[in-house]
Amino acid sequence: MRATALRERLEAVVGRDGVFSDPSDLLLYQYDASDEAIAGINRPDVVVLPRTAEQVAAIVRIAREAGVPVTPRGAGTGLAGGALAARGGIMIVLTRMTRVVEINQDDRYAIVEPGVINLDLSQTTKPLGYFFAPDPSSQRSCTIGGNIANNSGGPHCLKYGVTSNHILGLEVVLPSGEVIWTGGAAPEAPGIDLTGVLVGSEGTLGIVTKAMVRLTRNPEAVNVLVSAFPEIEAASHAVSAIIAAGVLPAALEMMDALTIRAVEAAYHAGYPEDAGAVLLVEIDGLAEAVAESSDMIVTICRQHGASDVRVATTAEERALLWQGRKAAFGAMGRLAPNYYLQDTVVPRTKLPATLRRVEEISRDYKLQIANVFHAGDGNLHPLILFDRYRLGDIERVLNAGTEMLHWSVNAGGAISGEHGIGLEKRDHIALIFTPDDLAAMAGLKLSFDPLQYFNPEKVFPAGFSCGEIAALKQQALLDKPGMHVA
Amino acid sequence: MSPELAASLMNVESRTGGVPRRDVEAYRVDGLAPSLALAPASMDQVRDVLAAAAETGAAVVPWGGGTQMCFGNLPEAYDIALDLRGLNDIVEYEPDDLTVAVQAGCTLAELNRRLGEYGEMLPVDATDPERATIGGLVASGFSGPRRLGYGSFRDLIIGITAVLPGGLVAKAGGMVVKNVTGFDMMRLYHGSLGSLAVIVQVNFKVLPRPRAERTIVAHYPALEPAFDAAMTVRRSQLLPTAITLLNAGAADRADIGGSAWTLILRCEAPPVAVVRLATRISDAISTQALALDVLEESGSEQIWTRINQALAAEPVEREIRVRLGSAPSEIPAALNAITSVASEHGLHVSLTVDCGSGLLYGRLAAESDEVEPLRRAWSALASLARHATLLAAPSAVKQGTDVFGPEPAGFAVMRSLKDQFDPNRVLNRGRFVGRL
Repeated sequence: MRATALRERLEAVVGRDGVFSDPSDLLLYQYDASDEAIAGINRPDVVVLPRTAEQVAAIVRIAREAGVPVTPRGAGTGLAGGALAARGGIMIVLTRMTRVVEINQDDRYAIVEPGVINLDLSQTTKPLGYFFAPDPSSQRSCTIGGNIANNSGGPHCLKYGVTSNHILGLEVVLPSGEVIWTGGAAPEAPGIDLTGVLVGSEGTLGIVTKAMVRLTRNPEAVNVLVSAFPEIEAASHAVSAIIAAGVLPAALEMMDALTIRAVEAAYHAGYPEDAGAVLLVEIDGLAEAVAESSDMIVTICRQHGASDVRVATTAEERALLWQGRKAAFGAMGRLAPNYYLQDTVVPRTKLPATLRRVEEISRDYKLQIANVFHAGDGNLHPLILFDRYRLGDIERVLNAGTEMLHWSVNAGGAISGEHGIGLEKRDHIALIFTPDDLAAMAGLKLSFDPLQYFNPEKVFPAGFSCGEIAALKQQALLDKPGMHVA
Repeated sequence: MSPELAASLMNVESRTGGVPRRDVEAYRVDGLAPSLALAPASMDQVRDVLAAAAETGAAVVPWGGGTQMCFGNLPEAYDIALDLRGLNDIVEYEPDDLTVAVQAGCTLAELNRRLGEYGEMLPVDATDPERATIGGLVASGFSGPRRLGYGSFRDLIIGITAVLPGGLVAKAGGMVVKNVTGFDMMRLYHGSLGSLAVIVQVNFKVLPRPRAERTIVAHYPALEPAFDAAMTVRRSQLLPTAITLLNAGAADRADIGGSAWTLILRCEAPPVAVVRLATRISDAISTQALALDVLEESGSEQIWTRINQALAAEPVEREIRVRLGSAPSEIPAALNAITSVASEHGLHVSLTVDCGSGLLYGRLAAESDEVEPLRRAWSALASLARHATLLAAPSAVKQGTDVFGPEPAGFAVMRSLKDQFDPNRVLNRGRFVGRL
């Protein structure tokens, strides 16, 4: 189909103000929050902003007929290039679908459209006594649809779990063009858990047009503790001790000296500036249990050499401490013109060794690395600082990032804790998964999207379609002595 | 047996010569016995059996402890029982990481004993933890009342390894508690009743055992005050880990007895907090209660063992077991509906309701061997609530019905998944939703 004909058909669905194809209009959509050096420039041919599920379905059917790929996108805050149009085609931007359709307090759910901003939902429900638990650092701008695509985490998923644990059902447009509801207010619906496999599938299996999300009751009491440690190793031992003591905080976050200095310079959040590491611990729940657990955590921190343990008693103090943590990435501008944010995860007991390795990598590659991360669940976020205009910096940054992935895999971890695979890590996925593993995942993809036109080039290694992965595997099996494939 | 089938079974037999045999009589499903019962001792043997079955067209039913084998549609064919209890190792356990990797054939009780040595647990309810295997629990996808406090079973799974019928051994997830590397195959296999692949290993995040527990048992003369009490707690900021409501029949089966409706709430917390929690909950629900007891520690644990045991799926004679899914606020309507269906068909009814999730478990029992009242009761129940599942029933009742109710939304995708993962319909042929 010619470009103008495609544009006209799309305009007939969403109106003229919902279709963009001028190069200047497309500029914004050829980037997300990932680094251009990794994801490259991926320009969609046309961007469409629908307002309803019916419009999304109509766009999908047009794309299917025209044989062009479809890439869904929310606020574009993704760090792995998941929302980039890697093969051009139609980009469906869901930021005009922003209605909170229903809030049901008795049954503790809300039905929202995918363009609703994460923080807006919690701010809407908080006065009613409920919140939406996933809280990625980008929660002021990221959308619920994007959270679902990436199975987003956030500091509070230590206790409350990742996005997947909070999605009860989905209205989704399938690659077939069909619109279905999966799951619902009653759990254990008969059949395969399509809701569960759609969450975290990075928009490769379907496009969510409504989500039924779990609302969690506001806790009765909340405490935030800030402990200053002389160095990061002591702080990470304290983390292991807290987990091993049987206390499950709502959040357990760590910042190293470099991060503390940047955050203090930018926001004056109130962290002890001379500390080697700061541990931010939030405990919530029943008033009596919070008090009991807080005492235990203070004791553990002191035993591990914390010099200064403070408890934030007011909501304002708590908010300030959290703001420092959530805006830490932004504060990096104080230290260097650019940073590359890595996202890896290791078993919690491997944290001290992993942090030592990050330090070595920093020395070896002559790059400053700041650490700010979800210590409670072993999810690291080393920020590699650099200057894009300094010759050779980018290559060293990428190599340093890859070394961290290798380390994490060898330590029994994984190559992404919460940012996703997207374009960024598709070629690294083979560090974790064998062709067998990938063939089964390809089977899942092909069951939803046999034409492979939904968010192509993502998750799976470059240069292989899912069909090819499955075929390669069949061949490998045939070659294996004693193995037969039906 | 047709000559073709006999030949293909001989083929399977010859190709799986090293795999230990079992007596087929112990592996009946809905009254049918298989022609061959194999108990592989390794993942490689599982792969050999499945590869041979895929090639010859034999129908395989995977087995764990057998506690849920009455769940599922009548098998369309049943040639080989695949008993996975030989794969029962705890593969990797690092207590300080709060993670464990365990083979599918390990029982829940065995796993929890090991975790208990380090003060940890997998907070999953099962009717018979000494028999129920991890693989069976994950495949059948049941999640008991403690999901309110600890999340549903699927939320505890962080990794999985499965053998596909063609012989692929495929893993997903890993040994970390937060992981978005690749697709979430854990949720694909969980609850798919072994219809896509045979689960051979599951990795879990585990939790510290609560340092103290209490259970509140409150008796009520009628449904309304009992349900109001449950909702009062649910709406509050008090955090029990389970809220279960039993009618007189179910309370009797769990050896509790005493009133028309019994509300049972579990509190698990640090020692000082648990006492306060139990007191605050008791105060909130006592006004309309006939009587109220608080059980401590082992008494608390035991009552839940009995409640879970009373939900046991077997034996199935003269009765059906159903599960209705409602939103929690719709529970009274569902209870009234099931009670009237039971009395209309002259059936005794035991009802256990998980007020945290809205799942309702009903056991409808006839006084005679007549199957017609049971059959009619199920067809009335199948369209009640948001969804209904026939968990167990005599074969004569299962005949001609789908125990999963009408085809769910997205069934076309489920069919594609079956075609992709198990094109020769080797696994649990006809037993899963829509007779896949």
